[in-house]
Amino acid sequence: MNNRRIAFVRVLGAIVLAAITTVAIPGHVRAQKLQGTPLRVAILADMTNFDPMQFSLVNFHLIKNLYDSLIEYTADGKAVPSLATEWKIGEGNKSVRVTLRKDVLFHSGAPLTSADVAATLKKASDPAKGKNVYATMGIVQDWTMPDEHTIVINFKAPVPERQILDLLQFTMPIEAAGIDTVETKPAGTGAYTLAGRAVGQSVTLKANPKYWRTGEPVSPEIRFTVFSDDAAASAALESGAADIIYGGGARSAVRLRDAGYTVTRGPGPLVQVFRINTTRPPFNNEKFRQAFNYLMDRDGILRVGYAGLGEPVALPWAPASPASNPAYLKEFAYNLDKAKALLAESGLSKQEMSNWKLLVYGTDQPTVVISQIVQSTLAEVGINIQLDVLEGSEYVKAQLAGDYSATFGGVGNVQKFPSRVATNSIYRTKDNPVLKEPHPFPDYVAAIERVNSTYGSEEKVKAAYDHLNRVLVTSAFAIPTNSYDVGLIVSSSKLDGFTPDMDNLFVARTIGLKK
Amino acid sequence: MKLTFGKLSAFGRALLRHKGAAAALAFLSVVALVAAFADFMPFDPFRQRLVDALKGPSQAHWFGTDELGRDIFARVVYGARTSLTTAAGAVAIAAAVGVPMGLVSGFFGGWRDAALMRFVDVMMTLPAILFAMALIAILGRSQIAAIVAVGITGIPSFARITRAQTLTLRSRDFVVAVEAFGGSARYNMFRTILPNSWSPILVQVVVLCSVAILLEAALAFLGVGVAPPTPSWGEMLRSGKSYLHEAPYYAVLPGLILTLTILSFDALGRAMADLLGERYEIRKSGSEGAA
Repeated sequence: MNNRRIAFVRVLGAIVLAAITTVAIPGHVRAQKLQGTPLRVAILADMTNFDPMQFSLVNFHLIKNLYDSLIEYTADGKAVPSLATEWKIGEGNKSVRVTLRKDVLFHSGAPLTSADVAATLKKASDPAKGKNVYATMGIVQDWTMPDEHTIVINFKAPVPERQILDLLQFTMPIEAAGIDTVETKPAGTGAYTLAGRAVGQSVTLKANPKYWRTGEPVSPEIRFTVFSDDAAASAALESGAADIIYGGGARSAVRLRDAGYTVTRGPGPLVQVFRINTTRPPFNNEKFRQAFNYLMDRDGILRVGYAGLGEPVALPWAPASPASNPAYLKEFAYNLDKAKALLAESGLSKQEMSNWKLLVYGTDQPTVVISQIVQSTLAEVGINIQLDVLEGSEYVKAQLAGDYSATFGGVGNVQKFPSRVATNSIYRTKDNPVLKEPHPFPDYVAAIERVNSTYGSEEKVKAAYDHLNRVLVTSAFAIPTNSYDVGLIVSSSKLDGFTPDMDNLFVARTIGLKK
Repeated sequence: MKLTFGKLSAFGRALLRHKGAAAALAFLSVVALVAAFADFMPFDPFRQRLVDALKGPSQAHWFGTDELGRDIFARVVYGARTSLTTAAGAVAIAAAVGVPMGLVSGFFGGWRDAALMRFVDVMMTLPAILFAMALIAILGRSQIAAIVAVGITGIPSFARITRAQTLTLRSRDFVVAVEAFGGSARYNMFRTILPNSWSPILVQVVVLCSVAILLEAALAFLGVGVAPPTPSWGEMLRSGKSYLHEAPYYAVLPGLILTLTILSFDALGRAMADLLGERYEIRKSGSEGAA
């Protein structure tokens, strides 16, 4: 009996110790417990270029391996140093003083200086070259370089701290001399350097021998191989031809997880949103739109469309977002009776309510499925609509031009500063391609502006977020249904050391074989 | 061999004595009857029950359920309706255009023949699936578009077969006699030659049905067929392939019915060709008659 008790206490102690070790030991120390191995990663689309500002899903596997950010976020949204060792927000939140590490070299061998960061900011603020970072630069007035390792960024107006941190996290210094050629030749400080590329087939990266993080990268080489589809990538993993699948589908990830593979989900999902064109009838009727808050079977949509990988949401925020508020999910739970009441209040006839088509992205199987769920739900309340299924570029063209009555589409930047949601077309406050100019929801524009300009006490900030959330559900031009994973990682159980990235980018420098 | 009721009846009896043809006819009859009377069956192909998603075959759901909890058997039955009506419509279009084209071409010869046959040659060089996809891109995604697209791709085979038959019959005494008695070209083509050309055209109708069903399924599989939630065998294969590991029956059972239907049409066509004494080389990508 005593022996069994002692054995139990030992096992319990080992579990507690392992848990403490996992939580308490920093990444680079944990990396030392791993053994380097050439990593074979299956991806589902070829990259387009090496510019870290072209933040496209097809480049997600490369960006954080070739480049480093000024700061990083932990999975729970805490800012931690990276290329910047320190950042001090100036008086009145009108500037930030960033101190750079002194031991960082670019792949070319040149040292990282404030001039490189300045050149990167200049590119980011150029409407033609700034690409996905350009919108984030909207708050920046100018910058100065007091010395080689310090840069001060000045803002046009007082900026909330979280928005400043987002800017630093989004800034990945490019070597000044390599800025003009960065699309074809990477010019970063990342843990890996480009070793080769076969267009449409593979990209090979080699470990950067002069990398500044101690003990990283763990593995000497990564080979990304492009597979035609999810099933082919899964077969490669199961047959041992690949060690990792990055960016595969939720359903195959769940199946592989059940078969013993490891599924790693990042903190930066997308949120699926039922986008509504309020310039067209019947969606120009507010009550009719508001009914859709209750017409979304979010649990069903998540389970059927995304194999349950994600969270049901009634607001366009990921759980890591400071504006996330789960209470809305309860308030706007699937409820046909409440929906019917609002539909009755709308004063529209059944025929008027049914006089539109739901645009569907036929290439994306989950949206085909969830669109049918909505179609079926609408039929239950007497609204009979048709699906308008378009493929590939035909759909993208219609979506970008706002040429639809309603459609499902994912929105990003939902885990960061709340006003970043306005980088998505349906949520844009200016030049909105769907809602057009002048913006038909001035309350929403004002709410975003309030979030942008509120800083200081936590209470005031929270009130601004609450106000924005209320405006979003009242105006109901976009009905979020669920978060879903982008950049899912499925790996062999022999691998460990995955570093979560706030944008779900693939970070390979800490991955290795379990010893 | 002129088409008469007696000949048709004798041909029917001969078909039923042919084992392969009888089996094929029996299967196709069941499919056609089930499709025709689907509305009277206690199944709803559109009714979703998300809690029952991807359930295996059972007494309640003979073929199991799909990812939205819909009854796969019901969708296969209604999918048969989609496939058969598409095939019937496509064959009607192909025959309505191709047969007169072949008659004119073979009867008049000369520049008309050259022009029509070069047009047919051009059509035959276009891969049917690509042509159909391009046409659907223009017309939009619907069953009508699929019927028109598949029908147009079938025109060349009817035109070539009818032309070959017409060329054979054109110089026969009964055709020349009608001409000598003052019969118009139109009368001669449609009342004299066409009734005597029915056997290869009938075979072609059956063969094109299988081609049309396959093409419609291929278009749906590629995502350009009838739009969901309308049931279609090709669309079920497309959706089902995502669930091959968890629910193999989802793709396999509709695929099996599709295969059996195409095999049945094919077997029937070959049996008909045998019984009619026609020496046809049946080609799936557009049949061509060579008497």
